Amino acid sequence: MHELGIIIEVVQTVERIAREQNLTQIQRLTLQIGELSSVIPYFVEQCYPAAVDGTMLEQTELEIEVLPGNGLCKSCGKVFNLREHERTCPRCGARSWELLGGKEFNIKEILAC
Amino acid sequence: MAEFRVLEIKQSVFESNDREADLLRVRLRAEKTFLLNLMSSPGSGKTTTLKRTIAALKDEFRIGVMEADIDSSVDAEAISGTGARVIQLHTGGMCHLDAGMTRQGLDGLGTDNLDLAILENVGNLVCPAEFDTGAARNAMILSVPEGDDKPLKYPLMFSICHAVIINKMDTLSVFDFDLEAAKERIRRLNPDVEIFPISARTGEGMEPWFAWLAGQVREWNA
Repeated sequence: MHELGIIIEVVQTVERIAREQNLTQIQRLTLQIGELSSVIPYFVEQCYPAAVDGTMLEQTELEIEVLPGNGLCKSCGKVFNLREHERTCPRCGARSWELLGGKEFNIKEILAC
Repeated sequence: MAEFRVLEIKQSVFESNDREADLLRVRLRAEKTFLLNLMSSPGSGKTTTLKRTIAALKDEFRIGVMEADIDSSVDAEAISGTGARVIQLHTGGMCHLDAGMTRQGLDGLGTDNLDLAILENVGNLVCPAEFDTGAARNAMILSVPEGDDKPLKYPLMFSICHAVIINKMDTLSVFDFDLEAAKERIRRLNPDVEIFPISARTGEGMEPWFAWLAGQVREWNA
């Protein structure tokens, strides 16, 4: 449960950007969370109201995009979802793969004026 | 009514920490100080393992230890008996150390005339895995009583470590711990990892761990 601290950092970053760009209202905040990042979207949503309380983002809607945790099989080149296939290539059974993504935790964009 | 527009930010939330960690690694490389980030659950035997490790390596390397704890100095007191330089870092409730806190800790410890600095991270398998401390290598301890399914429960921790120590091997007969299953689960997450089954209490199996760590320190400081 470290999501609250992380979300507070997100809020601070967005507020800084808003000040730099002279924004007055932020309607929506979009985050990207990788499946393998161990940040849990459900907990982020639960923490969000507490983290934005009393900030510029108090009225801002939160949107979360989940990014897949995919690997590229080093033996046969197949791209596959690591979690779904328990980190084993579903085509050739190899367990050696290169991580293509899924550990992200990004502030993607904001809708603001 | 002002018009709303989409502003692309594309910024990683961990980015500022990652940058700070990279800077710290560059500095430590230049200063010829190898930083090991040692992580585990509470009660896995980090301090006992460290004491043995310091005893084995102190003739070759000048060693310093940073003990990170939420609030106590018991580990620092235990380590200070080994003759290594030691400081206690209180995280004040924080569940992990980030690169900035690690740098402050190193400044407090003093990296002059130090070949090997060891960070004993907060006992926790979740948050320390998310935050790069700037260490040259990450190691973690899994102990037999915790169970062979730990890698399934904390995959990120096992995937970011260069070495996994399996401690308390002397208790294997009283626990349902399948060593081969544990190794297989760890390797599935992290094919290149080094695995060292040891008993820090008896000292059994610790030589390969000492040799690996010494090799890493020599290579970094070369």
